Amino acid sequence: MPAISRRNFLKATGLASIVAGIAGEDMFTRMAFAATPYAGDVLVVLSLRGGFDGLSAIVPAAAADYGDYATLRPNIKIPSGQLIQLTPQFGMHPAMAPLKPFWDAQTFGVVHAVGMAQPNRSHFDAMEEMERAAPGSSLRTGWIDRVLGLREPGTAFQATQMGSNTAASAFLGPSPELAMYDIESFSLEGAWDDVERAKWDAALRALNGDAPDAVSAPSTTALDAIATAAALPGDGYVPAHSAVYPATGLGDALSNIAQLIKNPTGLQVAAVDYGDWDMHVDLGAVDTGWMFDKLTELSGALSAFATDLGATAMNKVTVVTLTEFGRRAEENGSGGVDHGYGQAVFLMGGGIKGGQVHGAWPGLAPADLIDGDLNGVNDYRLVLAELLEKRCEATSVSGIFPGIDATRFNIATQA
Amino acid sequence: MGDEGDRGLVSPTSTMPRRSFVRNAVVGSAIASAGIGSTLLQSTPARAASDPTSFLPGADDLHVLRRATWGPTPELHKQIGTMGIDRWLNQQLAPSTIDDHACSALISERFPRLAWTLPQAYNHQDAGWQLMFDLGVAALARAALSKRQLFEVLVDFWSNHLNVANFGDSVWWSRHDYDRSVIRRHALGKFSDMLAASATHPAMLTYLNNAESTKDDPNENYGRELLELHTVGVDAGYTEDEMRTSALILTGLGVHWYDEVDDGTFFYNKGNHYTGPVQVLGWSSSNGSAKNGKAVALNYVDYLAHHPATAHRISYKLCQRFVADEPPAALVDAMASAYLAHDTAIVPVLRTMFGSDAFRQSKGAKVVRPMQDVLATVRILGIKPGTDKKDDGLDGLYWHVESMSDAPLTWVQPNGYPDYADAWRSAGGTLNRWNTHLSLAAGWNHDLKTPNLRRNLLPDTLPKDHGALIQALAKRLVFRTLATPHRDALLAFLGRAATDPISPSSEAVGWRLSYLVALILDSPYHGIR
Repeated sequence: MPAISRRNFLKATGLASIVAGIAGEDMFTRMAFAATPYAGDVLVVLSLRGGFDGLSAIVPAAAADYGDYATLRPNIKIPSGQLIQLTPQFGMHPAMAPLKPFWDAQTFGVVHAVGMAQPNRSHFDAMEEMERAAPGSSLRTGWIDRVLGLREPGTAFQATQMGSNTAASAFLGPSPELAMYDIESFSLEGAWDDVERAKWDAALRALNGDAPDAVSAPSTTALDAIATAAALPGDGYVPAHSAVYPATGLGDALSNIAQLIKNPTGLQVAAVDYGDWDMHVDLGAVDTGWMFDKLTELSGALSAFATDLGATAMNKVTVVTLTEFGRRAEENGSGGVDHGYGQAVFLMGGGIKGGQVHGAWPGLAPADLIDGDLNGVNDYRLVLAELLEKRCEATSVSGIFPGIDATRFNIATQA
Repeated sequence: MGDEGDRGLVSPTSTMPRRSFVRNAVVGSAIASAGIGSTLLQSTPARAASDPTSFLPGADDLHVLRRATWGPTPELHKQIGTMGIDRWLNQQLAPSTIDDHACSALISERFPRLAWTLPQAYNHQDAGWQLMFDLGVAALARAALSKRQLFEVLVDFWSNHLNVANFGDSVWWSRHDYDRSVIRRHALGKFSDMLAASATHPAMLTYLNNAESTKDDPNENYGRELLELHTVGVDAGYTEDEMRTSALILTGLGVHWYDEVDDGTFFYNKGNHYTGPVQVLGWSSSNGSAKNGKAVALNYVDYLAHHPATAHRISYKLCQRFVADEPPAALVDAMASAYLAHDTAIVPVLRTMFGSDAFRQSKGAKVVRPMQDVLATVRILGIKPGTDKKDDGLDGLYWHVESMSDAPLTWVQPNGYPDYADAWRSAGGTLNRWNTHLSLAAGWNHDLKTPNLRRNLLPDTLPKDHGALIQALAKRLVFRTLATPHRDALLAFLGRAATDPISPSSEAVGWRLSYLVALILDSPYHGIR
């Protein structure tokens, strides 16, 4: 059969299905989307790879709970007097102080005791399963790809992994994504100035323009994206509102995403990997060490990102953190924590219901633990589903998260 | 039938398999051309389809080289011209008749860890990541350097068909042995043997969780994928009950870990095996004693290998690899017949395919995937590993491919890399390919041994003018001249007219030469096969 571009393919299949009388509800959903360009929030997915210990960040502070916590973690606990009190029930690690103003402004919030359908304590399996987000089904695409599949195809930047040349498996599937180390390096290496770039651009367009679609279409998209990137400040970017990003991979990735948001690039979903959370040994103390350093960087970067964009732009941005699993409730013999289950999810944005710790709290008493872990009672897919429904124009998430139930945590306002 | 799983594209919004989508897309086009189109269709005018063969040399032997190798070279072109296509293919289908000691020596010297047995590797957990990285780089090195090119292409094919993702945290001691004793051992043998070897290999059994599957607490992962991906395919008509039975039949196939032996080798644990009558897709067994459980499981695996749906599915996938993204149905049927007639032997299936008219007529029906692109570039430019054994540049080559998300053996899902053009349309991947062409042509990876471009690609007597220079380069790199508009695009890039003379000091044969080479490799003349 002749080559059909994906765009034509989807439209043609949509029509054909209707004519054939076999269209399901989702087919119509897809058609409805096709008429309007995406106008929902930019969704920023920050993956805390390695298994982020939510219990070090958001600490149960109520008397009985804190007692359980202190018993489980005699050497690595945050002393109760040093917690930043968030609610009567929870306190925050002092290294996260830069996020307190956003908590107070209700643009930073938490969902605690978040988990997957089944505990999975293998980094690799858990990450793949989390990003596939379709337990019990044989879907092999990633959840972000399925989100994009419901929308009109957008620009090359519609789905961008920043900080890495390889996209996360959440992007796996037919919708194209862009993976880049940063904007500055997203360029033709032979073109050192605008004159040279114009020469390369003209030659590549002429060489590929009349090729079959499978070659010409990605070439055109790439050249358009290169031109877009070249017009952005890149390394010369000056953040607004005196925001200062940490000079780290995470800081760079978020400041690059801020550039994509501030300019008409068509960004819809951005993903960043922020790893090194696998703290089996020497997690550290309240004011020094591994966890302190990581939370300091994370909080500084998120705070800079929200400050740089400002409250108005953040009304159209939703940030969510995910990790493949939480850690054991009990510390191990090496001053660290082993692989566990329940995790904590952070939310930022003008449209989330911040200033709250959402989700059911199962507790840390021995009977409440699952194989020694905080129970991940709040399915992370329900968190994502609500964000997609209320902030990202998804009218039905059943195709994104098959078999998902109707529970929601009331974590966002309807856009 | 049965090809959805490997395409990795189960529709996110519908239970309709992709193949039905494609069929309906054809219906849609037919409706549109019959004038019933809505505004929806009118808003997407059909693109004038250009003829992919207009970018390729017409010769059949080059067509064979583009499909049966990781990239044509002038030497191979000469060789197949001398031998003739049939003799050349026969030789490639009998790889042990091809002297490949140079490549083998390089691999064993460069990657001594790959010779480790399972227990040896199991006792080197500290080197586990390095061992897996060795395997990935070695896969690339073999594909680039081996004279057994068709064999190496098939190793890649089977590695994806029976995928065990490299860098998984339960295969660090076993993935290299899986490559050796399952994939490479049987890549041109019988599929039934390969499947049985995979079903008793620690890498597969841990990757798909069969090693932790027990009669009381079965894990269905392997039992499901064995049906859906490895053999009959999701449309073969088995029920969910049969799928669960499949998992029960396989209980007991496990690994010596967390036990007294604890050496990472295969272990049939009869204590885990489910007993009692079992039945799947027409196969049944009384399965009365756990002692015979391994034999029962392997008999089931063998039955699946010989199933007509498996014959069809394997043939379809081979066709998609070697012939066209949408395989011709008649050819698939013919290959499936050969598969069944020869007790699942792979060579007769390949002979049927390569000998078919459909194969010969499929010029231009495939595009080059990123890994193929990098390898074809390395091969056509004559790039070799550097002489410094510690830093021979191969790692850098691996990272090039990795940056395009096509590093060998690392597809994370059990279905293996998709092998059709639609899956490889990423803008970032395209940019990385272009930059890789220039990086390789310009020799920016100093650890690799990159021949001097002018001496390697151009005759001693330089072409007389810029037009002739471009066409001489094209003939050397893509085995044909460029169409005039494409030649002119390169002349415009150089800011020269076709008749502007070339002298030894011309930019086009000096510092701009690597740019010209890269641009030709950036074109469909290199990207379509």
